[in-house]
Amino acid sequence: MRVNPNYTSDMVNLMDQAQQNEENAVQQLSTGRRINLPSDDPAAEAAMVGENSQSAAVDQYTASSDSLTDVLNTANSTLNSVTTLLQRAVSLGVEGANGTMNQTDLNSIASEVSGIQSQIVGLANTSYAGQYLFSGTVTGTAPYAADASDSSQIDYLGNTGQNKVQIGTGLSVAANLPGSSIFSQSGANVFTALQSLVTALQSGDSSSIAAAGTSVSTALGAVNTAQVFYGNTVNELTTNETYLAQEKVNISTYENTLVSADTATAATDVTQDETVLNATIAAAAQVNQQANLLNYIQ
Amino acid sequence: MGLTADLNVSVQSLLAATEAMDVTTTNIANQNTPGYARRTVILEEAAPSGGDGSTTGVDVKAIQSMRDTVLDLSINSATSQQNMSSTIASSLAAVQTVFSDTASGSIGSTIDAFFSSLQELSTSPSDGELRSDALTAADNVASSFQSTAAVITQAQHQADQSVVQETSDANSLLQQIATTNGAISLAKNLGQSTDSDEDQLSNLLSQLSAIVGYNTVNSSDGLTLTTSDGTPLVVGNTAYALTNSLNANGFNDVYAGGTDITSSIQGGTLGGDLQTRDQTLPTMATQLDQFAYQFAQAVNNVQTAGSDVNGNTGTAFFDPPDTTSGDATGAAAAITVALTSGSQIAAAASGGSSGDNSNLTNMTNLQNQSIINGDTPTDAFSNLTFSIGNTISQANSGATATGNILTQLQNQQSSIEGVSLDEESSNLLLYERSYQAAAKVISTVDTLMGNVLDMGVTDPGY
Repeated sequence: MRVNPNYTSDMVNLMDQAQQNEENAVQQLSTGRRINLPSDDPAAEAAMVGENSQSAAVDQYTASSDSLTDVLNTANSTLNSVTTLLQRAVSLGVEGANGTMNQTDLNSIASEVSGIQSQIVGLANTSYAGQYLFSGTVTGTAPYAADASDSSQIDYLGNTGQNKVQIGTGLSVAANLPGSSIFSQSGANVFTALQSLVTALQSGDSSSIAAAGTSVSTALGAVNTAQVFYGNTVNELTTNETYLAQEKVNISTYENTLVSADTATAATDVTQDETVLNATIAAAAQVNQQANLLNYIQ
Repeated sequence: MGLTADLNVSVQSLLAATEAMDVTTTNIANQNTPGYARRTVILEEAAPSGGDGSTTGVDVKAIQSMRDTVLDLSINSATSQQNMSSTIASSLAAVQTVFSDTASGSIGSTIDAFFSSLQELSTSPSDGELRSDALTAADNVASSFQSTAAVITQAQHQADQSVVQETSDANSLLQQIATTNGAISLAKNLGQSTDSDEDQLSNLLSQLSAIVGYNTVNSSDGLTLTTSDGTPLVVGNTAYALTNSLNANGFNDVYAGGTDITSSIQGGTLGGDLQTRDQTLPTMATQLDQFAYQFAQAVNNVQTAGSDVNGNTGTAFFDPPDTTSGDATGAAAAITVALTSGSQIAAAASGGSSGDNSNLTNMTNLQNQSIINGDTPTDAFSNLTFSIGNTISQANSGATATGNILTQLQNQQSSIEGVSLDEESSNLLLYERSYQAAAKVISTVDTLMGNVLDMGVTDPGY
């Protein structure tokens, strides 16, 4: 077969190709990425969409957990204060029921209990970032307000609504407890119990005082039970955040395997492509120096 | 036999050698001329001259153009294919950047951010700041749909502009091909050589193949050129004028002699631009419109089932045009956020309090529901990403593969048709010697004839 006399275009092709390969490898090294556009690896880029979405979701679950933890911790410490106050009321009741005090002393105890009651109303109306913590989902309205017509003198204005917040795929936690499940449960109403203690102390009847003191204890028990919810939820959130952090690492690792350049291979490629390019250029130069028959025909 | 016969034969030799050297000169001169196929001289023994026929000279039987028309056709068809693939890849390149995982503000990332903002809002549903954040995130979703739709439309318009340019280029080549066709059949009728016209035709066909794919049929009045599906472009010395005319979509259709041939054009840069403009991008635009439309509808359905912060029933969140007929056309370009204030986000269940987040939960759940033609929003975007990436990647590998075939074919073509300087130099030497030898014979015959004429002279004077 006759030999192709015009091999220069071939050489240009080869040089182009070597240069292109080298550029790719250098780009991989400088960006650290094997893929920069969907056409570089359509399947990997398509998978990246899912991974990025997953990653954003994990970030959001973490942020939601953080926000929720702050709210729940505030509620929890509020309930701690309520517990302390109620414990004081219980011991005041015991003091008043032992029958050794005169009415003047009982009256001053009664006014202290009354003070405790209004302090607890204040605590039950605690808000966080403008949202009342214990009014169910009526977060714009303070849950407790004075009402002379009510037996406890205090009215619950919230509802029994409970929000759920997503903290993982298919995983959500209750974000609040309504006041009706903490302070004003039927049979364990904090305000009714305190009000009855005040009334009993003012009447000076030891057995009434003792009975009222017992109902304050019952109410205290109910508050403590509610407090467990906050403690448990905060624990759950903490555990979940640890899990989410690990999940984030897993996603990043997978994303790396999808798009990251293998730097060792890329570096080797640069060297190899450089060698090929140099060799082709050298060969081209050599060929162009090669004499043709015309040089010998005189 | 005889000296006169020798003289005649030698003169023939001189003429043959001269003609052979002419061919060599032509070859050397056109070494780099596009479309040129090298020529060779075919010599043959001439009819015997002289009485007994023992002396035969040489004749130039033919000057042959070493053209391999089948190979030329394969090269042109590969060129058309390669140009079509590379045009598709390059005209979609701008579109795929908005689908890259590193692109900021891609549809995928803004939808993720939208759902994140709703989840953040669910931790404190009546928080005004979080509500405006969610509204901003929704605005970003609408803008990302709009800008992606705009990128697609722009790519279509760029392809359309190329179509106009390529139509005019192809038209001018078709006219030249028709003219050359006419020149060839005229030369044939006159019994003249058509070689240089064939070279010209070959060059024109090669240029045309870069712009558009075609088929050729040889007929009595020269080459007939048709599109891949047989629509005529050039018949003999008549070219069907290629023109453009705007279609209903505002794009330029291609007409040949008044017939719309847009859909029968395949191959070449024109074929690539038409495929991008009329097939690939419209398909993507339709998918994008449905994506925007169905996304908006799904969010709106949840939104209108709930109550906003003031206890009012939710109104549509997004506003894709024409929500009644279900026609999604143009939805991606036109989608906007209908709500004007964060307070209008229906976070609460119907009739729920301002602090209720149960409807938000329904809304964030959309992220994992198959609301876009049976896919989740993430999967829908992922599919679009794959689709554009794969189209370009396939076009690229198609271009590379055809490029390799083309290199192979061009090597083969060059090995048959290409001029080799070494070969021509050697031929030059050969014919020079041949000329010198014939000249020597003439001078020898001359001497001998002189001797004969001088035979009766006593002193010939030498």
